[in-house]
Amino acid sequence: MTALAPVLAIEGLKTYIHLKRGVVRAVDGVDLTVGAGETLGLVGESGSGKSMTGLSILRLLPKGAGKIVAGSIRLDGEELTTLPEKVLARDVRGRRVAMIAQDPMTSLNPVFSIGDQVSGPFRYHGGLPRQEARAAAIDVLQRVRIPSPEKRLGDYPHQFSGGQRQRIVTAMAIGRGPRLLIADEPTTALDVTIQAQMIALLRRLQQESGAGIILITHDLGVAASLCNRIAVMYAGRIVETGPVREVFRNPAHPYTRALLAAIPKLGSRGRRLVAIPGQPPSLIDPPAGCRFAARCPLKVSACDAYPQTTAVGPNHSVACWRAGEAV
Amino acid sequence: MLVLDQVSKHYGAVKAVDGVSLTVPEGQTLALVGESGCGKTTLAKLILMLEKPTTGRILFDGQDLAQMSRSQLKGYRRQVQAVFQDPYASLNPRLRVASIVAEPILAHERPDRASLKKRVEELLDHVGLPASAASLFPHEFSGGQRQRIAIARALALRPRLMVLDEPVSALDVSIRAQVLNLLADIQQEFSLTYLVIAHDLALVEHFSTQTAVAYLGRIVEHGATEDVFGAPSHPYTRALLEAVPQPDPDHVLPDAALLGEIASALDPPSGCHFHPRCPVAVPICPRERPAEVNAPGAGHTAACHLLAAARPLEHAASSP
Ligand SMILES: Nc1ncnc2c1ncn2[C@@H]1O[C@H](COP(=O)(O)OP(=O)(O)OP(=O)(O)O)[C@@H](O)[C@H]1O
Ligand SMILES: Nc1ncnc2c1ncn2[C@@H]1O[C@H](COP(=O)(O)OP(=O)(O)O)[C@@H](O)[C@H]1O
Ligand code: SF4
Ligand code: SF4
Ligand SMILES: [Mg+2]
Ligand SMILES: [Mg+2]
Repeated sequence: MTALAPVLAIEGLKTYIHLKRGVVRAVDGVDLTVGAGETLGLVGESGSGKSMTGLSILRLLPKGAGKIVAGSIRLDGEELTTLPEKVLARDVRGRRVAMIAQDPMTSLNPVFSIGDQVSGPFRYHGGLPRQEARAAAIDVLQRVRIPSPEKRLGDYPHQFSGGQRQRIVTAMAIGRGPRLLIADEPTTALDVTIQAQMIALLRRLQQESGAGIILITHDLGVAASLCNRIAVMYAGRIVETGPVREVFRNPAHPYTRALLAAIPKLGSRGRRLVAIPGQPPSLIDPPAGCRFAARCPLKVSACDAYPQTTAVGPNHSVACWRAGEAV
Repeated sequence: MLVLDQVSKHYGAVKAVDGVSLTVPEGQTLALVGESGCGKTTLAKLILMLEKPTTGRILFDGQDLAQMSRSQLKGYRRQVQAVFQDPYASLNPRLRVASIVAEPILAHERPDRASLKKRVEELLDHVGLPASAASLFPHEFSGGQRQRIAIARALALRPRLMVLDEPVSALDVSIRAQVLNLLADIQQEFSLTYLVIAHDLALVEHFSTQTAVAYLGRIVEHGATEDVFGAPSHPYTRALLEAVPQPDPDHVLPDAALLGEIASALDPPSGCHFHPRCPVAVPICPRERPAEVNAPGAGHTAACHLLAAARPLEHAASSP
């Protein structure tokens, strides 16, 4: 998959947020690629910069405060960071790159019917006449398994369940055949049985469309169920990336290992959880060396300098001075 | 210690809690699991006396809450404390940590300054916070630390029962284990009984000794956690357990089509509430509410017509 030219290639991305109390280095030197038909899981704790990475691609940053200060983002080879805002809004957002946000209600307007909201982009951006836009809306709602969509076009968002609203938002995102889909915590607000439906839906959509997907999540179970490749983010940087099996079976970064040991798993009753001491550093004034050092059981004096990224297996790389050592 | 007897709470047409009977035995951790809106928080509010049941009784040490005198109720409120999901919303942002933790003590006692200060410091120490935390405000702490403050406040009156409503779900994965381990430690130290509300099944299996599964206001399965997870007997419990995504790339999730939509609490399905989603429903299911019958393991019950049909003898034996 990575042999093909990637759909998305991010290199050295830095996105900073300028606040009164200081500069938040939300994304601080991120490299990522997503191939066609690939699902990349971007995992890590809240505040580690996952959403800001996704929003940087669409340049939907906090107004006046957020700014890409370095790096490159290429979509099918085309540089996005230097693209004029107008072109980005017209050709990229919602068209070549679509986003599903965590809370479906933020993406749906409560005063417009579902039919208007789903068919709108086909009419106004796609230039389809009314009847054809309506047919296209019915078609995508069918693809996300809304039962009898032709009867429900006149209904409003509150008349649908949480899981259905999330599927409608998904329908709007995939409607125009994006090359890249960014799904930011798409299942976090859902119950497990509905979450399993959403996972199956995303998997099927990807097989049908061949789009690349970035799945942002803090849930390692969801990431394992859906992703081909995993990138683990910590305090603004990627600390480990690799094929999903490698990362879950042979995690190489001490943070990834600690995270996997800290979550309860079905069938592991009675065992004490191995907690990670402390908390992540502030992104206003992060440590110069390894950002996990204050919590790392393997820390040595070399860790006072930021670790180089090294390969520990095929397509599997880690930013840790002690990554190569068997522990 | 705590017994719920056919407790219901209706908000207009919504039967948030619909005839729930449950026992929380002393020293145990009873977990209440179920999908969003199934009535878990409402049940917690009834136990905390933030709401009154529409019908049914809640008994504490054999005493009906509705029959308790003022002083008995005051004693009950001391012995039952709560920790809520959101440590941001549950702490008063204008109070210093010392006042937050001292608040329940001052509602019940008149200690002198020095002994109050000492008790606050001891409480902070129990939850792993330094004494210097006392003079700071909630916003100066991380989510995990705020949850520790909420736990210190709940411990202040040495309660016997703690109601934990999603105590770690607002916290980061790397912080959850710290708080869960702390809750396990103080349970030992203070001989606490827990009623924990959670939707994370792996966490429930890890943390609880008893599990009750709720669906649209009713308890559909209840028993020792090892029995409920080892021999899940209600079709809904089985569907829930199968749907949990596991941190294992080789784990296969079930066919999503089987899982159906969650029904609305405003208009719950007739008979067994689960029947529109149930893969094994039989003709009686939409017609009659199933009774609780025995499932494998001591005290393990489930409310499903199929189990009643499969175990007619035990069913007959269990009803006098
Ligand atoms: N004050 C109220 N007025 C009207 N309806 C209410 C009220 N409180 C709760 N409900 C309804 O009662 C039902 C149960 O709500 P409850 O908050 O107990 O659910 P829950 O199981 O705690 O859900 P969650 O997992 O989302 O926290 C829901 O349908 C809810 O909308
Ligand atoms: N609108 C905003 N204004 C100021 N800071 C923000 C804003 N959004 C995010 N941040 C900060 O940027 C950092 C990364 O945030 P985010 O990308 O949202 O993390 P994640 O998605 O991994 O939880 C955090 O320190 C967060 O506090
Ligand atoms: S570089 Fe050092 S401190 Fe950082 S994770 Fe590796 S061993 Fe730990
Ligand atoms: S009573 Fe019927 S519908 Fe309900 S869970 Fe049992 S078999 Fe399914
Ligand atoms: Mg986010
Ligand atoms: Mg609740």
